[in-house]
Amino acid sequence: MSSSLRSVNPNAESMDKAAALFMNINAAKGLQDVMRTNLGPRGTIKMLVDGAGGLKLTKDGNVLLKEMQIQNPTAIMIARSAVAQDDISGDGTSSTVLITGELMKQAERYLNEGVHPRVIVEGLEAAKKSAIEFLKQFRVETGGVENPDREMLLCVARTALRTKLEEHLADMLTTIVTDAVLCISRPQMPIDLHMVEIMTMKHKEDSETKLIKGLVLDHGSRHPDMPKHVADAYILTCNISMEYEKSEVNSSFMYSDAEQREKMVEAERKFTDDVVRQVIALKKKVCEGNDKGFVVITQKGIDPISLDMLAKENILGLRRAKRRNMERLVLACGGVCVNSPEELSPEVLGHAGEVYEHILGDEKFTFIEDVSNPTSCTILLKGPNQHTIIQLKDAVRDGLRAVKNTLIDKAVIPGAGAFEAGLFVHLNEVTKKTVEGRAKRGVEAFAEAMLVIPKTLAENSGYDAQDAVISLTDEHENGNIVGIDVTTGEPFDPTTSGVYDNYLVKMQILQSAPVVATQLLLVDQVLRAGVNMRGRGPAE
Amino acid sequence: MSAGMPYGLQAMLKDGHKHLSGLDEAVIKNIEACRELSKIARTSLGPNGMNKMVINHLEKLFVTSDTAVIVRELEVAHPAARVVVMAAEAQEREVGDGTNFVVSFAGELLSLAEELIRDGLHPSEIRDGYQKALEKCLEWLNEELAIEGTETMDVRDKVAVAKRLKGTLSSKQSGYEEQLASIVAEACVDVCPKKNAKNFNVEDVRTAKIVGGNINDVQTIHGMVIRRNVEGSVRHVENAKVAVFGCAVDTQATETKGTVLIQSGKDLEEYSKGEELQVEKYIDEIVESGCKVVFTGQSFGDLALHFLERKKIMAVKIPSKFELRRVCKATNATTLIKLGKPKPDELGYASKIDVVEIGDSKVLVLKQDDASRVSTIILRGATANAMDDLERAMDDGINAYKALMRDSRAVAAGGATEIALAKRLSDYAKTQTGLDQYAIQKFAQALELVPRTLAENAGLDATSVIASLYAAHSSSNKNNNRMGVDVSGDQETVDLCESAGIVDLLEVKHWALKLAVDAARTVLRVDQIIMSKQAGGPGPNDARAG
Repeated sequence: MSSSLRSVNPNAESMDKAAALFMNINAAKGLQDVMRTNLGPRGTIKMLVDGAGGLKLTKDGNVLLKEMQIQNPTAIMIARSAVAQDDISGDGTSSTVLITGELMKQAERYLNEGVHPRVIVEGLEAAKKSAIEFLKQFRVETGGVENPDREMLLCVARTALRTKLEEHLADMLTTIVTDAVLCISRPQMPIDLHMVEIMTMKHKEDSETKLIKGLVLDHGSRHPDMPKHVADAYILTCNISMEYEKSEVNSSFMYSDAEQREKMVEAERKFTDDVVRQVIALKKKVCEGNDKGFVVITQKGIDPISLDMLAKENILGLRRAKRRNMERLVLACGGVCVNSPEELSPEVLGHAGEVYEHILGDEKFTFIEDVSNPTSCTILLKGPNQHTIIQLKDAVRDGLRAVKNTLIDKAVIPGAGAFEAGLFVHLNEVTKKTVEGRAKRGVEAFAEAMLVIPKTLAENSGYDAQDAVISLTDEHENGNIVGIDVTTGEPFDPTTSGVYDNYLVKMQILQSAPVVATQLLLVDQVLRAGVNMRGRGPAE
Repeated sequence: MSAGMPYGLQAMLKDGHKHLSGLDEAVIKNIEACRELSKIARTSLGPNGMNKMVINHLEKLFVTSDTAVIVRELEVAHPAARVVVMAAEAQEREVGDGTNFVVSFAGELLSLAEELIRDGLHPSEIRDGYQKALEKCLEWLNEELAIEGTETMDVRDKVAVAKRLKGTLSSKQSGYEEQLASIVAEACVDVCPKKNAKNFNVEDVRTAKIVGGNINDVQTIHGMVIRRNVEGSVRHVENAKVAVFGCAVDTQATETKGTVLIQSGKDLEEYSKGEELQVEKYIDEIVESGCKVVFTGQSFGDLALHFLERKKIMAVKIPSKFELRRVCKATNATTLIKLGKPKPDELGYASKIDVVEIGDSKVLVLKQDDASRVSTIILRGATANAMDDLERAMDDGINAYKALMRDSRAVAAGGATEIALAKRLSDYAKTQTGLDQYAIQKFAQALELVPRTLAENAGLDATSVIASLYAAHSSSNKNNNRMGVDVSGDQETVDLCESAGIVDLLEVKHWALKLAVDAARTVLRVDQIIMSKQAGGPGPNDARAG
């Protein structure tokens, strides 16, 4: 077999049947071993060091898979499906890898006994179909965007965050992400998580992280005399350049004496100055007779001369705002983004209760807070060092997704391994009876594989996996829905402690993990042109 | 488990990846690295701490006992040790002092944790224990150990401020703390905003290093010292109005390219003359406003300089934008962005501007008679290294003043606070029932590090010092919890607050404890390390080797 391949390409390598399967199964198991310790609130942390020596501490399966430069083809396949899991649902990467690995492991048992992979795959397919049905029955209905159930959202967010962060941090972030999503969600509108800005500050402690119903811009005014703190301010959001713009055609001035040149200098500025004067006129118009402040935020530049003019009028001018922030500004403060000086009028102004600048070392931040009807908000992450901030950032992203998913699904699934244990019992008691012949083995493998979640949860918390799983399945056989309590190792009712997972996440896991596993099981030959199979390069 | 598999994780990753996992490979190795780092830092703790000679990858030499510098220039590569370094950096950023404590203490916590791990405790239990201990410590620190009467202080009282700063400075420039503290206090208090002292900006206190002289020549100047000569020949002015220009003091130019149109020789002559007139007009306008000094952020044109000379106006060029802003602050001027007649309220004022020769360099000294908004400490020293070290000490002092603004409370120095905490903690540990009591006990033991190191660095018998400290703290004397190590060795224990007026700031201790424990807990939380291949390019090690 391989000799015929050699004649086609002398450098190619091949692995057939047993070897190919063995490699696939081992790769899946290997990856599973790495991810295993991550799962659940008691999982441990991995330290990743990148090529430049940067540090990353993470417990998030997704981050881990992205950062590890995996080379083994099978492992890459599993990793990709897990990363896809994250792209779709924002959580459940570790579970996907674990279940895929476990499916392979269980299947291996039967394969060693001589069952053909195709038969096993048939069983897996049947089990998957039945599992998805079961998932639909298992879900707990909850409110959507129109009638959000904040308590439930908090539970889901907490469950998701606790698997990524330490407990006290997770609890704190729980309310933050939930309120952030509730803040931006509007009935009949798709939830756009980009409207939650995540801002980081390397300052103080991680526990100072907070939700700001408004905006934080990562730059400040560029003029020392501009007000640092403006209360009750009009916000002018615009896309108007307040600096000298070069003409597009190649041009030059001709003059013959200094006076002429002076005039040209003046004329050159006039255009820009006029724009600034218009802004100032508007400020005077709306602020006449009251002590309201005025803030100009432009996406274009403001040159020193214009800044100076604005500063003299006590206007806070911010230049070169990010485009996405412009969009958010309008959402947060109201008003309209103006594109030409002709459109300036009191109607286009937004409003904020407080605008202030915060200086942190060399960096300046501008806070726009206390806005009337925010449809955009900012989560301000603080941490003493970069790796803490990155960790928080990844977690917040997942937390937001979890809340959003719940609002869309209008359903949640009891967590802590309750669903997996329930599915195990369901597959063994119901599904197995509906499947004929040897495919039953596939169903059994699927059912057994599901138990990897509660097992790992128990293991990571320092309890005996077998004891935990047996007591869990016993309870389920009696019709009780229970999960594993990570603090005691005993079965408990996840609904009373508010441990809920996303419906979408579980659905996605059930959809993707068996597919990857079956694909890998059906591989009977691995061909690789040129490079050594074990990824050690041709040098060996 | 991975040993039995031919295709472990190692084989799945790209070449050059390192994967360490498990207690022995990851946790213990991490602890070892941190312990080594802590050993390096430890000998620099306290007034008798030793200096380190660090040569960084740019071949720059540092001779210092300031841990923040040592760990930064050391370019620590080990990931776990880097976590500790980052904690030290955070401490430097937050309060500017106490970095040594962070590194040493984190290392000590970890090496004691190793003993517990070897005894079979799970790292998570140690983490819990350390966290509990930390919370208790902070509670005691805030409630019991703050020295009475330090809750409120007048941040403008130079004597009181100097007293607080002494603790910080004594560990950096031992023996000179008295005079340096009063210098720093003077510099800081002067620039402290009148209305809201909390807005004190550390940037407003500058340091200027000038080679020569010695530490006794260090002095504070109300105003600024600019290491630059004037452009013209006017070198002294008094009671002068000051104009600050952000633009060049020269003829104005258009943004678009300009071409002078000259058709004949006469035109040329006239053009030059017109130019001259123009500049003269500007300078005349400036003179009219009554100003005697012109600062610019850019350059002086030759013509402009000529006219300024004629009118006996001092011309100073300051290329740094930030320096220019400080000049504005010091003189209370507004930067003018266009050449022209300055308005009276845009002009600043300086009591005296002189070009002074200090050592071999000419510097511009801008003095204000009444309180200035910027003050400068002139540092003198025989070598650049000595001055660098002095500068860092000053920076620590200034940052300590800033910390005073937030919280003026002080705690006893000389290891007294640590012993007081350790004593309370070990009593507390005995009341605990879980496995974390061992970790709490170790935490208490780790706290002994400070007095122990102080004693060791002073050449005393650490064990007996600690024993007598505990004895002193258990005695029924008043203020028994203020007894610390006497580094002079004259007495067994001493109340530094009473005898020398040296105290530590609570804020510093608070953050140091927090960050050190945080770093230690982070290191203990890691059970696997995955390192990718180092990116290409010459690393710091290559440079050193070559």
